[in-house]
Amino acid sequence: MRDRAGALLLALCVVGAAALLWTPSAQAYAPVEPGQAYAPVEIVHTEQVRAGPYHLTVGFSTWPLRAMQSLDFTFTPDGGLTGKSGTLSMTGPGMKAGMRNVSPLSRHPRERSVWGLDIQALPTAGRWSFTFTIHGPQGQGTGTLSDITVLDQPGPPLALSWTLCALPVVGLLAFLIAAWRRHRPSRHLVAMGV
Amino acid sequence: MESDPASTLTGPGRPSPPGRPPRPQSAGVAGAYAVLAGTLLSLIGTCWDVQWHVDVGPDTFFTLPHLVLYSGSAIAGIAGLAMVLSATFAQRAGRPVDPTVGGSPVRVLGGTFTAPLGYLVAGTGAALFLLYGLLDLWWHSLYGFDAVLNSPPHVALFISVSLTMAGAVIVFSASRAQRWGRIGFVVSIPVLITFTPITTNALNGLGLPVDHRLAGTVFFAVCFVLMGAITLRHRWVALSIAAVLGVMQLFVWWFSPWAAKVYADYVGLPLRDNLRDMPPQVPAGMPMFLLAAALVMEALLWLGRGRGWPVRLLPQLTGAAGGVVLGLSMLVQASMLRGGAGGGPMGRSATSATTVLAVAILGLAFGALAGYLAARFAVLLRLNTPAADQESR
Repeated sequence: MRDRAGALLLALCVVGAAALLWTPSAQAYAPVEPGQAYAPVEIVHTEQVRAGPYHLTVGFSTWPLRAMQSLDFTFTPDGGLTGKSGTLSMTGPGMKAGMRNVSPLSRHPRERSVWGLDIQALPTAGRWSFTFTIHGPQGQGTGTLSDITVLDQPGPPLALSWTLCALPVVGLLAFLIAAWRRHRPSRHLVAMGV
Repeated sequence: MESDPASTLTGPGRPSPPGRPPRPQSAGVAGAYAVLAGTLLSLIGTCWDVQWHVDVGPDTFFTLPHLVLYSGSAIAGIAGLAMVLSATFAQRAGRPVDPTVGGSPVRVLGGTFTAPLGYLVAGTGAALFLLYGLLDLWWHSLYGFDAVLNSPPHVALFISVSLTMAGAVIVFSASRAQRWGRIGFVVSIPVLITFTPITTNALNGLGLPVDHRLAGTVFFAVCFVLMGAITLRHRWVALSIAAVLGVMQLFVWWFSPWAAKVYADYVGLPLRDNLRDMPPQVPAGMPMFLLAAALVMEALLWLGRGRGWPVRLLPQLTGAAGGVVLGLSMLVQASMLRGGAGGGPMGRSATSATTVLAVAILGLAFGALAGYLAARFAVLLRLNTPAADQESR
């Protein structure tokens, strides 16, 4: 009987591992070598911004933009990054006054010659604007790229996704309620003590 | 699944059929600690993965932190499956199924399987993790590799891991008569506590009137510490759980940023620019001063037991006191770890009198509720393996 159990367990492990490795999604993301594991930044659309004396090219790796769909952003000042620094502020639908998130401009992790954001999503559909403040040899300049349209999120409605993903919680609660109703722990508490 | 006890349910309190001794405890020890090891790997992998996104950034499905995270559930799941199959074959062979190995056996799929309760819960969590992992792959193929903790599949994954961790607690509580069982119980509870801030992060978008992270930390930490203390009914259990949590927190505090940097060097990626001097994200969300709250709860339990305070009120009183101390200590923690202009991993911190009063009330309410539930959960754990030798240690 133990041999049968061992054989069954081994078979289940092999089938499970094979299923995981042969899923198309898994193969699509399987890296060949560490250096090749991370895709290069590919810009498919650009916009131009003037921030005082500075000219900035804003690049997007996906276009048009959709809510919740992450992409790479690049921010390239004319003349390169040397001697320049700055901040980025993003505002969008549903953001109250004071919620504006100002962050320093950082080099893109996979494209170190430009500033950027890696794999970042804009959470809501509507019109967004990016405000840049640049400090450099020619002083400080501020400019805004406004009216960036973000379309509705792709995929199924979010409520459906949350419902599907809340099933483990529902199962856990059902399990606790069933255990509670079966054993009535309050009745045993005094007898068992704490 | 049917929750009726299997027909061959026996235990240390019942004599085994002559000539058919129960399985040796070594199988139970191996299975229990394999599940615990899996949950520890899940915790470490999660901390590492989150820190990778904070410090470095780029992501694919097959990163080393993901491998550690997924191997944790795989190990716990395979261990749970092996123990369920072992119990099933034992039951079919007419051997007694020992409820101290993983908990009371329950009939699954009309009696096709006989599953010890703890392993059933742990294994179900691991299986759900695999299923939601596939859903997560699909999600990323649609939305990209966004590094957000509270996407629907991520939340489902965290809850699945929490289920496995809860299964480990049930498994070890069933073996609480054994020293190895008590040690595993005291270690498995803080693993579960450390994971709750990640899971309660899912409530971020609901716009609740209370701070969901603070409320979640107070509720779950107080509930699980008290549940452990009441289940074992030993002195120092609450303090031991808090001490083990502190050791785990210190370890992942050091390990997460270190591992992220070493792995980034290995794959040839740089650290992000403008990294502020912020504490590691997941460890900084764990309660740093749980020992203080545990000390208060330990003292109140000791006083209450010694002076015969009403059993129906003592857990709520203890929980409320522990909740207030923990809530206020989280304010101190947020203030200590505040980064930049007020937004650190603990969020904004404010120390006005109103805030202190609000946190004290929150701690009181959630702590009392946690105490009420903790005592009942402890009863359920004890009823899961109510053998005489467990009670008369």
